[in-house]
Order: sequence, then C-alpha cells, then structure tokens
Amino acid sequence: MDIYDQLREVIAQTLRTPASSIGPTTRAADVPTWDSLGHVNLMMSLEQTFDVQLDVEDLPRLTSVPAILEYLKARGIG
Amino acid sequence: MSTNSNRKLATETLEEWVAVESRDELAWTVRTSDIEISLPQARRIESRLNQLRGPAHSFRVGVLHTYTSDLLDPWLSFECALQDLSFEVYHAPYGLLRQEAHADSGLVKHAPDLTLLLLQREDLHPDLARPMAGFSLKQQEVLRQQALTELMELVNPLRMAVGGMLAVTFLPSMTGPGLGLFDAHSDRSEVRWWSLFKAEAAGLMRDTVRSSLLLDLDEALAQLGRERFFDPRFWYSSRFPFSASAGREIARRVASLGAVIKHPKAKVIVLDADNTLWGGIVGEDGLHGIALGPDYPGNAYVAFQRRLLDLQQRGFILAMCSKNNEADVDQVLKEHPHQVLRQEHFVARRVNWLPKAQNLESLAEELNVGLDSFVFVDDSQHECLAVRRALPQVEVVCTPARPLGVPGCLDRLARLEIISLTDEDRAKTQMYIEERQRKDLERDVAQGGGDVESYLRSLGMKMQVGIDDPRHIARLAQLTQKTNQFNLTTRRYSDEQIRAYIESDQAIVAHFSLADRFGNSGVVGLAVLRRTDKEAATLDTFLMSCRVIGRGAESAFLETLLLEAHGHGVKVITAEFIPTAKNALVTEFLPSQGFTQKPDGTWERMLSDRPARPPEDFPIDIAIERGTSNERMHLRDAQL
Repeated sequence: MDIYDQLREVIAQTLRTPASSIGPTTRAADVPTWDSLGHVNLMMSLEQTFDVQLDVEDLPRLTSVPAILEYLKARGIG
Repeated sequence: MSTNSNRKLATETLEEWVAVESRDELAWTVRTSDIEISLPQARRIESRLNQLRGPAHSFRVGVLHTYTSDLLDPWLSFECALQDLSFEVYHAPYGLLRQEAHADSGLVKHAPDLTLLLLQREDLHPDLARPMAGFSLKQQEVLRQQALTELMELVNPLRMAVGGMLAVTFLPSMTGPGLGLFDAHSDRSEVRWWSLFKAEAAGLMRDTVRSSLLLDLDEALAQLGRERFFDPRFWYSSRFPFSASAGREIARRVASLGAVIKHPKAKVIVLDADNTLWGGIVGEDGLHGIALGPDYPGNAYVAFQRRLLDLQQRGFILAMCSKNNEADVDQVLKEHPHQVLRQEHFVARRVNWLPKAQNLESLAEELNVGLDSFVFVDDSQHECLAVRRALPQVEVVCTPARPLGVPGCLDRLARLEIISLTDEDRAKTQMYIEERQRKDLERDVAQGGGDVESYLRSLGMKMQVGIDDPRHIARLAQLTQKTNQFNLTTRRYSDEQIRAYIESDQAIVAHFSLADRFGNSGVVGLAVLRRTDKEAATLDTFLMSCRVIGRGAESAFLETLLLEAHGHGVKVITAEFIPTAKNALVTEFLPSQGFTQKPDGTWERMLSDRPARPPEDFPIDIAIERGTSNERMHLRDAQL
C-alpha cells in the first residue's frame, strides 16, 4: 500500500467516513466529521500510524490530504 | 504489567485478528494482548466486532467535564466493544456541572448507567491552583474541609437527579509536586495533602452517597508513567490532557465498570493446578520438582498465588479443577514450603480425570451458583477451548505460556473488578468453608444413625433476633434487594423505606443472625410485619439468605416474631406468597407453618388456634434484642 492509500485508510477509519469519499485534494471542510475534534483524533492517528512526532505548530496546518502528504514526504515517509 | 507495551500492532497481525469469525474470540484476543493499538486499528477492530455480532448490552455514560472529554470517545467506544457493550454517551456542555442536576437536563434525559465526572483539582477551590507549600498546616486543613464541602455539594444533587453509578475523577497533576524531589520529605507536602483529601472524599462518598465511586486516575497515571500519560501539545492547543495510551487506559477502566454493572457478577475463580499454580507437573516432577519458590520461575507462581489472595479479599471464592491424582495435589497444598494457597483457601476442589466441563457443572451445583459466575483459569489451550465450547457462559482465561506473564494474567479481567466491598464479601470464603464443615458433620451424624434433629442440636446454634434495630438498615435493605429464593413477597426496599418501617409504631422490623460451632452468618434474615388493625397484622416481607437454609432457622425466626406480635396484642396474622421465577423454594412455607389459605388466595393464622411456639421448641438458642424505637410501640399499646 503506498502512502496515499494508507492515508486514505487512516482518515476513513478515524473519521468514520468511506475511503471512496477521500481524494487527493480533499480538505477538512469537505468531510463533515473532520471538525476540530476529529482533527485532533486524526493527528493522533497519523502519529501512531506513520511513527512521526507532530509539532504543536504543525497541527493547524495539516487540514488537507495534500498538506499531510507533503508533510510526510518532507520527513522521508512515502 | 506489560513487558512489551511499546510494541506496535503489525498490519499482518491485525489482519489475522480480524479474520476470526467469533466476536468473543476476537474481543478476548485483543483484551489479553498488550501490543499498542493505533486509533485507526482500534476502529477497524471495533467495526469487525460489531459486524460479527451486536454487543450484548448498551452502556449509557453521561460525562460532566471541565476539560475536553469528547476525545476519549473513540477509546471508550473501543474498550466498551471489547467488553461486549455498546457505548452510548452524553457529554454535558464544557464546564457545566451543577446545572446537570436539574430535572430536565441533558444528563437526566440520557438516563445514564454511569455518570462520569472528569474534574480538575482547582474546580473544588481556586487555591488548589496555587502552591500548596504556601499554606500553613492549619490553612491546608481548612482548604481540605472546604474542598470536601464543595465536592459533596456537587455530588449530592447529581446523586438525587440520576440513577446508576456515579464516578468521580480528578485530573492528576501534570507536573511533579511544587517542592520537587523534596516534596515527600516536607511537612507541607502537596502529595500528602492530596492523599488525605482522596481518603476523606472516598470515606464521605462511601458513607453518604449511594452507588458512588472515587475512580483514582493517579492509578492510571502510575500504570503508564507521567511522561506517557500526558500530551502537552493537545492540552495547550485543545484542553485535552491525555496521550493516546492514557486515553485507552482510562477508557479501559471505565469500560470495566460497565462490565461489572452490565454482565453477570463473577463469583468463583476455578484454577487448574499444574503450570497454573506452580510450574511443571506434580504427578511427574514430584513434590520437590515443581517450580514454586524464591527463584525464577517458581517465584512467578508464588506471586500469582499472592494475587489470588488479593482477589479473595475482593469477595471472589477460589476453587480448583485439575486433572491429577488427588493425593499428589493434597501433598503440595499441605506440605510444600512455598505453596501460598492451602486447603482452607479453596471452597471446593475437583481433582480427578473427568472432563473439566463436567467438573465445573458439579462445582456450580455444589456451590449453588450459576456457571455464568465462573472464571476458569487453565494453561492448556486444549482445556480452555473445550470449556469455552461446552460452557460458553464460563469466562475462560488461558494462563500465559511464559511464567513471567502468569502473575498478572487476571489483572485486566474487567469482571474481577468490584464496585463495593462489605465485610461479608471479604469473609465469603470462610462462609463457604463453614458450610462444607456443616455438611461433613451432617454426614457423620447420619452415618452414626442420628436424625436431622440431632444434627441440628449438634451444631450448637445461637440465633440473635433484633427488633426495630436501626443499626443494620443498610444490610436489611441490601437483603431485600438481593434475596430471590427464600423470599415470600420479593418486595425491594431502600434504606429510607426500611428506616421508615423501623420508626413506625405500626410495623415490626425483625432481623436475625445465626451462629453455630463453625461460625457466624451475620445478618441473614428479615421480616416486616405491618399492623392492619388493632388485633391483626400482615407479613409484608419474610426472607432469608440461602446460606442458612436447612438449619430450621426460618421456623424459629417466624415463631419468635409471632410471639413478639402477640405480645403487642396481635391475634391474627395474614400473609402472602407472591410467586416469582426464583422463589419456588418457599411455595410450601406458609402451610408448613400453620397458615391456612383463604378464598382470596392469601394466608392466615389465628394465634388463638395456632399459638406462637416458644423458643424451647427449637434446636436453637434464641436471644432477642429490641431497638429503641420499639419502646414507642409499647407506649402506644399502653395508651390504646
């Protein structure tokens, strides 16, 4: 599974939304359960799944699939 | 506890887990594993559990909080699913506490099984956010009293407003104590203040707040360590203090409460012997060849046996079921210098070569408890599987193969948690042992040609009857709540209702305890006799705990009560038998005691025709003690 598919799976499971509704340009505003609480849960899921340690300053920036992918790539993941 | 808690769940393992076709098996695998599970993995497992079978019960939780609590939900939902519960939650608006005690609050409407208070220390007093060392000892004492008052003013209205259980938590300190490493040594220690506060708060709640619990998050913190427990990033950005691990650990504790509340009560722990209580096989390795003693792996088994003594203090009774020669096992129990559990710790044993399921059934019969109250512990996968298949209502625990894992193998079993503890719970093993001694005596007397009467006389029974005695109100109410079999009317009463009857001059509340040469039963019987007329009274309640059945106590108690009533001028006693699914035992009780049935189905005994029998008629020494409120009945009689 490449990193994009893995991310879709993490978002789908954490936010209880079908993976098919997540695309390469999906943003938080497109997913009803990706609210502020869902976002914190998602950040925890990212850390646990990809073994990264997010900085508190990163949290408000990682609110879209492209932003998260770019962040992971910059840390050599995927 | 866990030796591998930092291991993460591999995708392949997760796939193996969710490929299982049984909800119980998947839940059991996940519950007993100490591998770290990520949130998406937890959600995947939860979906799979619910796909295999819907949960057995719903568990309704109302959360009142002064910090972000919603983020616990995924973990709570997951841990509840592992306990076969569906998690139904209501979160009060942030910071609303007392407002939720109103009759039309969201909390009240939610009708929770558990109300969970997630409080911070300073919620009880603003000074608790200031350095404790800044207060003199006198000020610290005043602060503690003020905080206790505040807590009770918060808890009491909530207790009145909702049913179910009420659990209070305090967020542990995110930093070490203010005085740092010197704290414990200081007379102004913050940790000491907090320990005293917790002890006093628990005492107040225990004594005055029904179904309440101080759920100590300091214990959850100790389990993980402060650095793993808190996540400052989410605390400072979202007011959520916990790491994912802490979220799961707290959720596990809350879900355990759900399991204790919703599932059948566990009562008996049935233990295999070889490779469970000691390492090796006594039949092959011999008394001195088994692993049990100060060195590894024997010390792991000693530790496990000590843990079992802890569980006995929680009110669980221990039994043994082992495929072995009885003499070999006896020898270990009697002679092995490092064996912790001796014969007197087991209420019953099955050491033979019969199938274990069959032995468990006969144990259930002997102990007079349901198989759904059994926890069966065995190291053999084969035996565990066989019991799980034959008796799905038995909770099966497979002892870990590595001795290192054995001491903690029951620590995470939710149904071995307790939410109350009485003297009787702690003495339960003793009660069962005494009962077995009575049965042995009865057999001996019978073999010597003696009849039941001579057996009963040989017991040397002493009955203490209390009349209108307010000292046992909680126990008497508990008896009405818990007694199902020997119970004529199955009326359930609260403490307040019992108190009202005791204080009324129109009712007699009698109870008894029974002692014999083997032990004292504690308070085990209750009768409520209500006056319906100047010369008539009705037997509103008559019940007795099963543990004293078969000793003639019920007759002696009834006749003593009737004698008492007669002394108050009562000439006619009416009584009812209200059949339930469980009280067939007393179907014949009233006719056997000289009551005759009236056309309307109720029963009656005229004391003029069938006078109360005197104490000498019974193989029991009867003593009567009258409470103060009974004096009023005398006075009133005198006035009439």
